[in-house]
Amino acid sequence: MPTAARTYWLTSSCRIRRKDQSLLIEREHGDDVHIPITDVRDVIACKPIDVNTAVVSLLNQHSINVHMLSYYGDYAGSLAAADNATSGETVIAQVQLATDPEARTRIARDIVHATAFNVRRVIDRDLLAAPYKTLTASIKNATSSDELMGAEGTFRRSAWEVLDTKLPDWLQMHGRSRRPPRNAGNAFISYVNGIVYARVLTAVRLTPLYSGVAFLHSTMERQRHSLVLDLAEMFKPLFAERLLLRMASRNQLKEHHFDTDSNQAMLSDTGRKIVVAAVRDELAATVTHRELNRKVAYDELLYLEALRLTRTCLEGESYKPFRIWW
Amino acid sequence: MITNGDVGGVHIKYLHHCRRQLWLYARGLRPEALSTTVQLGEAVHATSYRRASPIDLGSARLDDLDGELWVHEIKSSSRPSSADEAQAIHYCYRLRKVGVQAQGAVLHYPKTRRTRRLPYAEEWDQRAQDDIAAVLDTVAAPTAPERLRRSACRGCSYYDYCWSL
Ligand code: SF4
Repeated sequence: MPTAARTYWLTSSCRIRRKDQSLLIEREHGDDVHIPITDVRDVIACKPIDVNTAVVSLLNQHSINVHMLSYYGDYAGSLAAADNATSGETVIAQVQLATDPEARTRIARDIVHATAFNVRRVIDRDLLAAPYKTLTASIKNATSSDELMGAEGTFRRSAWEVLDTKLPDWLQMHGRSRRPPRNAGNAFISYVNGIVYARVLTAVRLTPLYSGVAFLHSTMERQRHSLVLDLAEMFKPLFAERLLLRMASRNQLKEHHFDTDSNQAMLSDTGRKIVVAAVRDELAATVTHRELNRKVAYDELLYLEALRLTRTCLEGESYKPFRIWW
Repeated sequence: MITNGDVGGVHIKYLHHCRRQLWLYARGLRPEALSTTVQLGEAVHATSYRRASPIDLGSARLDDLDGELWVHEIKSSSRPSSADEAQAIHYCYRLRKVGVQAQGAVLHYPKTRRTRRLPYAEEWDQRAQDDIAAVLDTVAAPTAPERLRRSACRGCSYYDYCWSL
C-alpha cells in the first residue's frame, strides 16, 4: 500500500484520546505518545484499548481502521471506518461470481491449491511432496467447498506433523488447536494468523470489494469478513509457519515468551513484543515483482492480491492466487 | 449507474486519459487515493494559490471563479493536456447551465509557472454535451475497455490493477 502513512502497532494496554488532529496514546506503563492522524494508515491493537467518541470520529474522517486482537491473539474485531470504498457495481459482479457454482468452485479450488503450494514451499518440499500430490488429485474433481476444505484439512495435518519434526520439543504443535491454543507453537501460529487477517482486511477495504461475500469460506457465516479469510489463506504460511521455523532455528523464541499451563498457552508480554516486531519487519521485507518490475513489500502483496481478485470479479479474468515465487 | 448530472470533472479527465480508467473509476476503484502523485497534487493546491476559493457545483468542483467570471484551474502536471482543456470546457458548460455566464478558463501550471487562457467559444456547449454522452456510454458498457499499451500507462494510478497479473 504505497502511502506515506503507516501501520501502528499497540503492544501494551492503553487509552487513546484525541488531541486536535492527533491521537494521544496514554500507556499504562510508559510515556504518552502523540501521533499526527495523517501518519496513520491503520492500527493493530494487540492488547486491550480504550477509545472514546472523539477518537472514533477522527478515525472515521480519515478512513482509518483499528483492528483488535483478542486475549489469545485471534482476530477479535475492528473499528471500521464507516466510509469505505465498496461500490455497488463491483459488489454485484462479486456476488454474481460467488453464486455461480462453477466459478465459485474454481476460485475456491485455486485458493486451496495455492495455499498448499505455499505451505509445502515454506515447510519442506520433499517431505510434503506426497501429501501435496494427494491434495492436487483430490481437489481436481471436488464440487463443493466442504470437499475442498476436507482435502485441505488432510494436507494440513501432514504439514503440521512435518513442521513438528523441525521444532524443539516445547514448540511442537501436536496438531492445530485454537481458542485456546493448547501449546506454545499453536499460540504463535494463532497470533501471527490474526495479524495477517487484520492486514488483509485493511487491504480489502482499499478495494471496492465487499468483505462479506466469499468463495471458499461460507459467506457471512461465523466471521463477518469471509472474503478476508479466503485471501488470508495463501499468506498465512508466508508469515506464520515461515517465521515460526526461522525464529525457532535462530533460538529467538524462548519458553518464557509464553504463559503456559497444562492445556493452554499464550504469548507473554515480552513474547508478544518480539513476535510483533518480527512480523512487522517481515511485512516490510521486499521482493521484486515480476510483472510490475519493481520491488514490492510483502505488505503490498496483500493489497495487490485484493486488486487481482477485484479484477476477476469485474472482468472475469481468471484468478491465480498468490504463490511464493522466490 | 450514473446519470447526466453525476458526470463531473474527474469523469471528463479520465475519458480523455483512458476510457478503461473511467470505467474502473465508475466501479469504485480509487487507487489514486493511495498514490503519492495525488498527495503531491493536493500539496500543490494547498500551497500555491492561497486566495482561491473552491466552488462546489455538486459533481463539479471548481478551484476558483474570479470576478470577471473566468474559471481558474490549478494543475499539478507540468504539461497541458487535452484532458485539462476538456475539463475546463465542462466546468464552463456547467456554470452556463446554472446561469453563470462563464467567460472561459485559465489553466495554471505552477510547476512550470505557465498559464493557459481559453476564452469561451460557441462550439464548447456541443463539445461538453458530447463528452458527457461519451462518459455515460463508456461507463454503461458491460465489459471494460481494452488496456492502453503499457508504455502509455506510465504514471497511471491504475497501473497495478491493470498490469499485475
Ligand atoms: S494503467 Fe493504462 S490501461 Fe490501465 S487505466 Fe491506466 S492508462 Fe488505462
